[in-house]
Amino acid sequence: MDFATRLLVFFGCWTILAGWDPSSWVIGLPAVLFASWVYGRLAQDSARPGIRPMLAFLPFFLRESFRGGADVARRILRPRMRIAPGFQTYRMRLSQPAARVLFLDCVSLLPGSLSADRHQDVIQVHLLDASLDVTPELADLERRVAAIFDERLEPDAHV
Amino acid sequence: MSLVLTLLSVVSILLGAFFFLVGTLGLIRLPDLFSRLHALTKTDNLGLGLVILGLLPWVPDLFHALKLVLIWLLVLLAGATGSHLIAKRALRGDGEDLTP
Amino acid sequence: MSDVLIATALVLLLSMTAGLARVVVGPTPADRMMGAQLLGTTGIAVLLLMGRAFEMPALADVALIFALLAAVAVSAFTRRRLDREPDE
Repeated sequence: MDFATRLLVFFGCWTILAGWDPSSWVIGLPAVLFASWVYGRLAQDSARPGIRPMLAFLPFFLRESFRGGADVARRILRPRMRIAPGFQTYRMRLSQPAARVLFLDCVSLLPGSLSADRHQDVIQVHLLDASLDVTPELADLERRVAAIFDERLEPDAHV
Repeated sequence: MSLVLTLLSVVSILLGAFFFLVGTLGLIRLPDLFSRLHALTKTDNLGLGLVILGLLPWVPDLFHALKLVLIWLLVLLAGATGSHLIAKRALRGDGEDLTP
Repeated sequence: MSDVLIATALVLLLSMTAGLARVVVGPTPADRMMGAQLLGTTGIAVLLLMGRAFEMPALADVALIFALLAAVAVSAFTRRRLDREPDE
């Protein structure tokens, strides 16, 4: 994201938080400038997320959030909890830092999976039911995240 | 405010509270740290999301609505990132988190 | 409407009390941290519900601070021992 876009985004955030009161800008203006600068330092080599793919991602995200919560609730509420916890590994194909962070966070929202650790490209995923192979679901999520950051993935997903 | 909207809002809030209760139950019931993390992140985020969804029809102005959504996004981000950090710490730490 | 909101807030308060058990029992520091996180998130919901029920929109700002503090607390907690890791 270029500086102007970041400035606009953080300006919007501040307006939401503090309202239109002009005196709030005594603190708001430095905060917005500082946030824009820090964001640039932390996420410099990531592409700007596209608005349209983000909007396309939203319904998927909400649906998966709901499925994830309902799934874990169903497991917990059974008198004998149906869980067989374990780990699986997955090789990430995303390369941009911001895309990876989004991917890792979203993995924790998919039903039954939780991103637990990362060594370079390889992530460890904890599963409530490790007898299922979640590679296809993770690859699907990765594709959707890649679309937001306009990134091309290698075609094959490895376990 | 129309009756249908009120009803939907109440249903959403109650459903959200239900997920909070399930999350607490999971935190108490589930056998190991990683499974508890599942319960914590997923049910809490969904619970708060539903409560906020139910409150949206009652906000005084648009800014307030956006603020609520912003709070939810922040909790989502903090929850997902936090659970990842806790799990990583448990896996890489000195075993303090795995052997009680 | 506010009756429903207050009742829900009370139920959530009870749920927070139950969650405290995990903070007290542990057994590991990470478990206690998770308990604290749960208290934070549930507390945010309680604050928002009460803010609506008692017509106190400012409580949303308190909830926002809760959310920020929870995020900082978790990262601070996990930094405590992970600062030696080379690849992060």
